[in-house]
Amino acid sequence: MGLTAALNVPVTAKRPRDNGNALTGSRCGRCGAASFPARAVCHRCGTAAPAAHTFAATGVLLTHTTVHVPRPGLPAPYTLGQVALDDDGPVVFGRVTTDGAEPATGMAVRVRVGAEGATPRYWFEPDRFTG
Amino acid sequence: MNTDDIEIAGVGMHPFGRFTGSSLKDLNRVACVSALLDAGIGVHDVDAVYAANAMAGLLQGQEMIRGQSVMREIGIERVPVTNVENACASGSTALRQAVLAIRAGSAEVVLVAGVEKMFVEDRARTLAALESAGDLDVVSGIGLQFTAVYGMRLRRLIAAGRLTVDDLVAVSVKSHANGSRNPYAQHREVVSPAEVLGSRPIADPLTLLMCSSICDGAAAVVLARRGAVPPSGRPAVRIRASQAATGYTTTGDEPSLTDTCASAAYAEAGLGPEDVDVAEVHDAMAPAELIAYEQLGFCRPGDAGALLGSGATRIEGALPVNPSGGLSSRGHAVGATGLAQIAELTWQLRGEATGRQAHRPRVGLAHNNGGWLEGESAVSCVHLLERTTPWD
Repeated sequence: MGLTAALNVPVTAKRPRDNGNALTGSRCGRCGAASFPARAVCHRCGTAAPAAHTFAATGVLLTHTTVHVPRPGLPAPYTLGQVALDDDGPVVFGRVTTDGAEPATGMAVRVRVGAEGATPRYWFEPDRFTG
Repeated sequence: MNTDDIEIAGVGMHPFGRFTGSSLKDLNRVACVSALLDAGIGVHDVDAVYAANAMAGLLQGQEMIRGQSVMREIGIERVPVTNVENACASGSTALRQAVLAIRAGSAEVVLVAGVEKMFVEDRARTLAALESAGDLDVVSGIGLQFTAVYGMRLRRLIAAGRLTVDDLVAVSVKSHANGSRNPYAQHREVVSPAEVLGSRPIADPLTLLMCSSICDGAAAVVLARRGAVPPSGRPAVRIRASQAATGYTTTGDEPSLTDTCASAAYAEAGLGPEDVDVAEVHDAMAPAELIAYEQLGFCRPGDAGALLGSGATRIEGALPVNPSGGLSSRGHAVGATGLAQIAELTWQLRGEATGRQAHRPRVGLAHNNGGWLEGESAVSCVHLLERTTPWD
């Protein structure tokens, strides 16, 4: 054990954040804590260099809000959500698109990953297979 | 009481609001000189300064030496000036640094100052600066901002049946009513429930009249080891607890950061929530006050709406909360907010809060949070103050 391995993890720009279908971060091999994006040291148990891990593409919408204040380059309204990814994945914020339907707390959602360089890079949609 | 006691020797504020013609130096000058006058001391009596500000780097371009640049305007040079940035909790974080400096024996009299100037020619710049209170490496480009973070926290509690939209409206009405009685407040108009509900949507369930807004202002506190400043003859107020904590990676189910920080503060003081007589809590959106009731232990989880409905948290109640109007009505000049809370509590504990005075409070609690991580605040500070002079 020790922190030495944290000196040699890839720089943040070289850590993958998705695999095209799901979000990628890290999961601690010792305590199982998940984080997105990957970190150099586990936030829960302090173990260095938690392994890269691709999380479930599905999750539960914990809560959401529709923002009505536009910003330059960001037309309103748009919907944001907080999602707990399945299989003990991390809790992440992201845009939610529902094709006009009202999102619901507890709803099953699926992550969608956009093209390289897109903003936002990922967002959530209702999971039509389970939801 | 002993010589290790740290007393609030003086407080001062520049009113919160829109002050287009006033610079950072002007805002800071009024707050600091007012606090020094209140303490009955001069600028050369100050051993050290902690200067809080969150946004002057982005909004005024004064990224470095913010404190030194505003303090020289009031003749404070040579003594150490330390700049403190912790988003919306910058002011309370600076206060804590001053407490630690006095406890360490490195200073006897410390000026703690917070200043913010958020009104600039382009509102989009202010909103972008506020957005930097998150980990931009993680959330940049999503469109996440304070209102959305609070909207999501409240939605979750409403969905769980722990709060109602009526509760959100009622606490916002209370906030404005208190603000209307505070000459330092930005928003001084009484509003009706219909006006709150009918104001434009910001980030649902939040409407405009539930939210704090862009604000200029400054606040300052003179902290002193007991005996270092000649007695003023007024009621003495001392620091009973000073705690700070950083947010954590949430799984969605842990105790809140505020809960953790408040528990540490109560333990430090040997006090509990039942001992608190008046509180200033972090309500960047007025309904966040309801969340704070539970996290600070003022009521059990799920009872915040009932506590509000009982009237206990009104100025005339047994536990007035945000008698100043809170962030949402007094105003939220980000870097000054934590010290504005301390100024208000000091006035309340001394019995000087004209027009909004709580009934003979002895213990005051200040709760100031800042920034956000994935679902949690990035910073929380809780201070407990005590009036040591008997009321009779």
